[in-house]
Amino acid sequence: MQKRQQLWTTLQREWHIWKSGARLGLAVIGLVALLRLTGGLQVLEWLALDTLLRLRPAEPADEHILIVGIDEDDIQAVGRYPIPDGQLAALIETLQAGQPAAIALDLYRDLPQEPGSADLAALFRTMPNLFGIEKVRGAAIAAPADLPDAQVGFSDLSTDLDGKLRRSALGAYNADQSEFRLSLALRLAERFLSERGISVAQGIRDPYAMRFGRAELPRTQPNTGGYRQLQPFEVETMLLFRSGRQPFERVTMRQVLAGQVESERVRDRLVLIGVVSPSVRDTFNSVATVTGVPAIPAGTIAGVEAHAHATSQIIQAALAGRPLLRDWSEPLEYAWLILWGVLGIGLGRFLVRPAAILAGLGLGIVTLLGLCFGLLLAGWWVPLVPALLAFFLNGAGLTAALFYRHQQDLKWQLRDRQYVIDHTFNAIHSGPLQTLSRLLSKTRSGDLPPDQWESMLAHLNRELRTVYDSVRKEILTEDGSLYLSEEQALDLNGPFEEALYEVYAYTLARDFDCFKTLKFCVTTFDPLETTGLTLEHKRELCRFFEESLCNVGKYAVGATQLEVVCKQEDGNNVIRVTDNGRGLESEKPSKSAPGSQDLGGRGTQIAESIAYQLGGKFQRESILPCGTRCELKWNPGKIRFGV
Amino acid sequence: MTRALALDPRTSADKSQKRRSQMTAALALKLERERRREAQMAESSALKKIVVVDDHELVLNSTVEALKQQYADAQITTAQTAASALAQIAQTQPDVAVVDLALPEQAGQTSRPETGLHLLRTLMQQYPTLNIVVQSANAKSLVRLKPAINAHEGGFIIADKSLSLKEMLTKVEWAMQGLVFTPKEMRTGLEIKPEWLEVLRLAFQEGLQDKAIAERMSVAERTVRHYWTQVQDALGVYPDTGKNNRIQTEIRAREEGLID
Repeated sequence: MQKRQQLWTTLQREWHIWKSGARLGLAVIGLVALLRLTGGLQVLEWLALDTLLRLRPAEPADEHILIVGIDEDDIQAVGRYPIPDGQLAALIETLQAGQPAAIALDLYRDLPQEPGSADLAALFRTMPNLFGIEKVRGAAIAAPADLPDAQVGFSDLSTDLDGKLRRSALGAYNADQSEFRLSLALRLAERFLSERGISVAQGIRDPYAMRFGRAELPRTQPNTGGYRQLQPFEVETMLLFRSGRQPFERVTMRQVLAGQVESERVRDRLVLIGVVSPSVRDTFNSVATVTGVPAIPAGTIAGVEAHAHATSQIIQAALAGRPLLRDWSEPLEYAWLILWGVLGIGLGRFLVRPAAILAGLGLGIVTLLGLCFGLLLAGWWVPLVPALLAFFLNGAGLTAALFYRHQQDLKWQLRDRQYVIDHTFNAIHSGPLQTLSRLLSKTRSGDLPPDQWESMLAHLNRELRTVYDSVRKEILTEDGSLYLSEEQALDLNGPFEEALYEVYAYTLARDFDCFKTLKFCVTTFDPLETTGLTLEHKRELCRFFEESLCNVGKYAVGATQLEVVCKQEDGNNVIRVTDNGRGLESEKPSKSAPGSQDLGGRGTQIAESIAYQLGGKFQRESILPCGTRCELKWNPGKIRFGV
Repeated sequence: MTRALALDPRTSADKSQKRRSQMTAALALKLERERRREAQMAESSALKKIVVVDDHELVLNSTVEALKQQYADAQITTAQTAASALAQIAQTQPDVAVVDLALPEQAGQTSRPETGLHLLRTLMQQYPTLNIVVQSANAKSLVRLKPAINAHEGGFIIADKSLSLKEMLTKVEWAMQGLVFTPKEMRTGLEIKPEWLEVLRLAFQEGLQDKAIAERMSVAERTVRHYWTQVQDALGVYPDTGKNNRIQTEIRAREEGLID
């Protein structure tokens, strides 16, 4: 019965903990989701993506692309910038001799740069595989005048709010919304792939997306992946940079002009000509990949490199099945977030020891990172940061809560220990110590015959031996009993005035000198208001009452009457013991010294402690003409909880 | 009557005629009233209702037998569990309930004094004027009921199980009279309630009668009478042939110093 009740209490307590714990955990998940929805996690998700992208294993250089980077030395060799059209024409002609698939000139040539602009214009007109650039957004820059429209691609790159490049624009309306333009990367890829029999087609999953064979280019949407309220170009895709230190083969203009670039390195390749000199501001921030050009500062890549990446990812996807960067649908993303949040809660639920939870936390985080990384390698950009946040906050939060609980347990243990000590002293004090003090006073006054000596000592011996049992019973059983003596157990669960009466009956039957002169007792034991009284309160009230009566027995010399009142007065519970004895002033416990070690002091201590716990008042005073009144009064509505 | 008839010739015919008829009517009324009262008393004694509660069938039967001999016309019902005792008492509203302390709650359960204690507590709460006789082998276990017994307004007798049948019947009779009897071992010295002290003071120091005492204390007269039985129990004054209870009480109270 008692076991079942204990189990029940345990279950109830656990339920409360988990109920609040899980509620908190769900709130954390909701908060993280809200944060993500409002864009609060956008920057963190970008950083996470960059980091994971950078961590990918290196890919070999793209065999289909060659970059001709005009570096600072080239510019020095030419002696001026912009590079004159004649130089460029020479460069293009040299390259064309190697039979490339296409040549892209990633330099604005809306205005001729003499000398030699006629040569370049002629090339523009005559070479069907020569592509040039324009700029369609912002301050628009026109394409070279002589270049056929089909060979013009825009070079605009869409950077994020943090200035970093993660996306690749494929198509966009020009500045006055009059014409739909295609990007340089798309033009090059289309040219390159159509030569291999793969032409551009409508998307299958997304009819507005572009598709080259099996490679459908996922369109970036306003809320793609970690993005919130993005305003992308009309057609855009995420940029899955080619990883590695040397994603593309690169040569300089000098090398080409000097004939140092063998025609095999050019044949059937896409050749992109662009400036890679830091002196020309054509660089983009990107920490997701590294530039192949030593002169360009870390964290940035040259514009021509960006175009190479954008082109390469399309070609490689179409030809080699290299993944393109996609995201999950929103429901799946949030399901993922909730899954990890719940796993975090689960940590605290299934693991109890803080160390185990920490280990679980670490394992969980590593698993999450590994999963996200693996998925990224397969081309999936999954929400890492929100999941990590929900998992960590829930896991670590619960860990912290457990640490707190552990500390609370420690506090309770200390309290319990203090309680045991107090209890033990109470038991000693109300039994053996009383006998001892009686023995002492009799010895002092000299009226103790030797035969009584022995019987009293034997009694004392017996009392001392029962202390252990009675304390153990009271503390361990918690069965609502108070042990007045070894054989006298009090039921504290019944009407409380009955328990008090039993204390009265038991105590008055004890062998105290001053009880012997009593002629009669006037008693009132009316029902008290006991709501709010714990078993412990009741136990201490009984102890207090016993102590008050004992004091009469010990100190109320010559008392003939005893008045005991336990009743309700004006809404207060009152326990009052009044005697008409002379009392012994010298031995009388002093009110002002609750810490003193004499017997009465201990009694006062009990009384004041219980009075404090009940939010009541304890008084002990002398009355006229003679006698002492001891009173404990408390308002049952004002009991302090959890003291 | 004789006197009235003797007076008759000395009065005038008219007047005497009128008077006689008046007196005859009054007499008839008085006689009728007396007869009715007697009939009532006979009826009430005939309809004495007793409930006996004991878990042992043998004990139960012997108690019932003894009671039947004493109260030939009494309606005696029995119960063997606390639950059925409550039901019986609620149904029959008895003059007296004779209750054993060790009882099972339901049939088939073990008998425990706690159950009997709880039954007594409930009975005193629900029927504040019910007369109760408790049969117990150990009166000490009843000590904790003392506050409730003191508050109870009906007779309350604690009868030791070792009492002879005759003594037991006396105790039942006492209970019917609303008396209170608690054995010595239940007491620690002389213990009285403030109200009892007040009754003693008003009666023996101010010489008041019960009715006046009731008025002074703002309680019912029957409550005062019950205070008397309670203080008499405390002082050990019980009905005894040839002794006046009130005087005995005064003597004992003065001995104990309850009144000066």
